[in-house]
Amino acid sequence: MTLQLANLEAPMLTADSVVTDKILTTRLHGTADTESRPGLEGYVSELHKEACRLGMSKVVVDLRNLEFMNSSSFKVFITWLGQVMELPADAQYRIHVLSNPSTHQWQRRSLAALSCFAVDLVTIET
Amino acid sequence: MNTAPYFHLVLQPDLGVVSTIRRFTNDLYQRVLDRELAGRLALATHEVLENAISYSNGRETELRIDIEGDEVNLRTWNHADPERIEAIKDGIDHLMAAADPDAYYQECISVSYQRTDGGSGLGLARIRNEADMSLSYEIDRDRVCIRATTKLVGGLRA
Repeated sequence: MTLQLANLEAPMLTADSVVTDKILTTRLHGTADTESRPGLEGYVSELHKEACRLGMSKVVVDLRNLEFMNSSSFKVFITWLGQVMELPADAQYRIHVLSNPSTHQWQRRSLAALSCFAVDLVTIET
Repeated sequence: MNTAPYFHLVLQPDLGVVSTIRRFTNDLYQRVLDRELAGRLALATHEVLENAISYSNGRETELRIDIEGDEVNLRTWNHADPERIEAIKDGIDHLMAAADPDAYYQECISVSYQRTDGGSGLGLARIRNEADMSLSYEIDRDRVCIRATTKLVGGLRA
């Protein structure tokens, strides 16, 4: 099965994904703010559907080039984590976040808060 | 003469400029402040300004950043409807009264997950928790001032 997920090409935010060895890796680049939120919301929704359809064991989210995420985009990730938590245990996948807090300082506290919301699912790599 | 550094911006409410203003102010913060403090202030600037613009009734919105003594103050002013003013007062009162800010923030995140109206309700909570700033407000009829304050950690760079 192949990944059926179109890249996100918003003016300030891009995203793309690949699948290798049962791991889906998605990369975000730019700024996730109010203007890009609808695109991000649609992209993450499709990402979740694809992760479920393909039976992924892990999704890697590369935020190292995400300059900023505002609160409404933060909620997109909260919603996603909640959806994964609501799956049956054997259908859940882990989410591993690649971050770069030395360049993007907001990531340290925001991602820590996000991982507390879904402590059994999320790991953060700095 | 007051020589304390400040920045004051008056704008027509437009969400499209918030990220631009965050980048601009972040550059200012990084130039004169401790790096960690600058990062917290950039997040707070984005959220407090976006909040002010989102809930403005269309008249001009203001952002002011002051370094006063050993504090940094971010202030926004907008004009808002009575329902929104009550929501702001209630939200800030609860944030500042929380005995355990981290636990309360996690409650806010859980509440946000349940919301289906498109909003997150997390802007001010992020300022309180992630940017580690205290919040207060002043109301004058329909004019709302929100102030976010933190200590000037590390002083000012020469």
